[in-house]
Amino acid sequence: MDSHVEEGCSSETLTFMELAIEQAKDALNSLEVPVGCVIAEDGKVIASGRNRTTETRNGGVIPKKKKKRVDVIWTRIGDCISIKALKTSNLPSLYSWTLIVVGTSLNFLWQATRHAEMEAIDALLEQWQKSGLSVSEVAEKFSACSLYVTCEPCIMCAAALSILGIKEVYYGCANDKFGGCGSILSLHSSSSKLPKSGNIAQRKDFKCTGGIMALEAVSLLRRFYEQGNPNGRGMCWFISITSTLYEDLEAKLSG
Amino acid sequence: MKKHTTDMWKIIHIPDKLPIPPNQQPTVNVLASVIDPKHANTLIRRLNQIAPLKNVCHVKRIRKKHLEGGKTQLSVILCLASEDNSLLNSLPQDVQELSDSYQLSPFVTKVCKYAATSKEEWEEQCKLWPTSYHPPTYNIDGITGFSEEDSLSILSFMKVAIELAKSGDGLIVNAAVIVDPSVQQIITNGCDQIFSWHAPMNKTCIRNDCIEQSTNLDSHQSNGVASTVTEVLPNASPSEPESLSCAVSCLNPWKWSEQQSDTANSYYCHPLRHAAIVAIESSADRDRRLFPDLGDAEEKSFETSQSSHVVAMVKRQKTSVANVEKKEADPPNMPSNSVPERPYLCTGCDIYLVWEPCIMCAMALVHQRIRRIFYAFPNPNNGALGSLHRLQGEKSLNHHYAVFRICVPEEALDIAGNRKSC
Repeated sequence: MDSHVEEGCSSETLTFMELAIEQAKDALNSLEVPVGCVIAEDGKVIASGRNRTTETRNGGVIPKKKKKRVDVIWTRIGDCISIKALKTSNLPSLYSWTLIVVGTSLNFLWQATRHAEMEAIDALLEQWQKSGLSVSEVAEKFSACSLYVTCEPCIMCAAALSILGIKEVYYGCANDKFGGCGSILSLHSSSSKLPKSGNIAQRKDFKCTGGIMALEAVSLLRRFYEQGNPNGRGMCWFISITSTLYEDLEAKLSG
Repeated sequence: MKKHTTDMWKIIHIPDKLPIPPNQQPTVNVLASVIDPKHANTLIRRLNQIAPLKNVCHVKRIRKKHLEGGKTQLSVILCLASEDNSLLNSLPQDVQELSDSYQLSPFVTKVCKYAATSKEEWEEQCKLWPTSYHPPTYNIDGITGFSEEDSLSILSFMKVAIELAKSGDGLIVNAAVIVDPSVQQIITNGCDQIFSWHAPMNKTCIRNDCIEQSTNLDSHQSNGVASTVTEVLPNASPSEPESLSCAVSCLNPWKWSEQQSDTANSYYCHPLRHAAIVAIESSADRDRRLFPDLGDAEEKSFETSQSSHVVAMVKRQKTSVANVEKKEADPPNMPSNSVPERPYLCTGCDIYLVWEPCIMCAMALVHQRIRRIFYAFPNPNNGALGSLHRLQGEKSLNHHYAVFRICVPEEALDIAGNRKSC
């Protein structure tokens, strides 16, 4: 069973997990669910990734607009800074308008499958392809790679990691809802559900260790959900601000 | 042109729970007796008062048996039998009195303990003792059956998927077609791209391919017809050598690593680019293309009129959610001529897959909020929707789709026999 002790971890494991946490923080700053990961081979980080469900795929971050009022997009209830940003923007003052902060990213959530692991895997495959590795070399490479991820891989990612034949996975906190490495399903170990077999290729297991820097990982997630998941369904906010209300707010801010 | 007619194609719902084999349903013992038909009403009324069938309401009190010679025989359940074997034949006092006064001869028999969840179960139950059956009336369209019209359109979308699966260079792969059922339009499609044989080396080109395909599809759709898509893909002769026809990635996701490496350097390899994943990515690409200015959303949200648009969008999304959880009306029908609303992932959409997806693809479809999955061929070793796993019944997940299998004759793929060698 997975060990959930940190004491036994090598300093290398902790170092890599810290890098994964950095990735998660990067996600948090972009209003993504803060999960990050790194892939290491021979003690070196060879790829990293973080959740990227709301951005365009080709690495293009949704451009922060030059116009100031774009900041409003990231407004949350009680977020005075963005109200200030609003103030400075060239709002049509006579216009009765409604500002809607709907988990703004509702607009942007393009592909809910772009998890940190998938990002890192894609980066790696691209890299290896550029260096002209053959299929068998790619397979060999994966079998020498370790993944460090801040949250237990979901069912999709755990399956993907098994398909690739990764060597081992270290994760931070467990994923009670979607976890594919023990929480909901155990895709890292095939012992429970072996296929009837035949001449099919052998499914691949990987070693999985949870609980590495779990507190840090959880606190990032907590921060994200406390401030409200802009992508979440249950978290749609509507702030209707009429021009009068806006005046009020303005007054409050300046007062 | 088609040698298989759609009449043969049947749509089956794949339930959330593994159904118990209909003939192995748990039973309970009851005491029953043959009765004189002219006493039936009186007896049943009285028995319902003194010995109601608690916890087995689905069991009918009376059974009518057709005997030889056109005669019928009525039996009635007197009461549930005691679980204590030594008291198996003993009746409660008032039932005993009733039994005595009508000169009944009680016998022990079995009835099914739980109400049937499917027609098959119900039919099996009735062999023991008649029960009543109420088909599930909850949530997603189609679980309780499809209208003629719906069936036809479902089958036509599956045909598109099958054609796609055959459209590779002699290689049968898995194919996915994502459809918005509210407007009966194909949104996008995708095929396995683990090894895109003649694909350009770099990913950008691959992705452009996708985009071009779906753009062409869009133009098809503008006619309101989800016609065949074969022409937008390199035409190919199906059923080439048998060895090439086993490239369905979900059937054995681990197979990629065993690929011969002779041509290895010359093609694109991505072990995770299964059809469903490719289609999801392509649909996200399409959304980005159709709604390129969403980065400017704030411009819109400052205007009341536009904001109501966003509100409507959110409402629509909520409605779809409600649809899954409660019984509700269909998602709002959208005017097809106007600019469609920006969809929230694949909420409300259906996906057609030629093969039952593996667990990775099935979970990706959960993440992307697909509403219904239709597949043609089961994936016995790695299928995640009933074969190896049953993801649609995983209660902890935040989204659940309905799963249907369309029974398609194997000839539809022209690879009968080949599949078995996989």
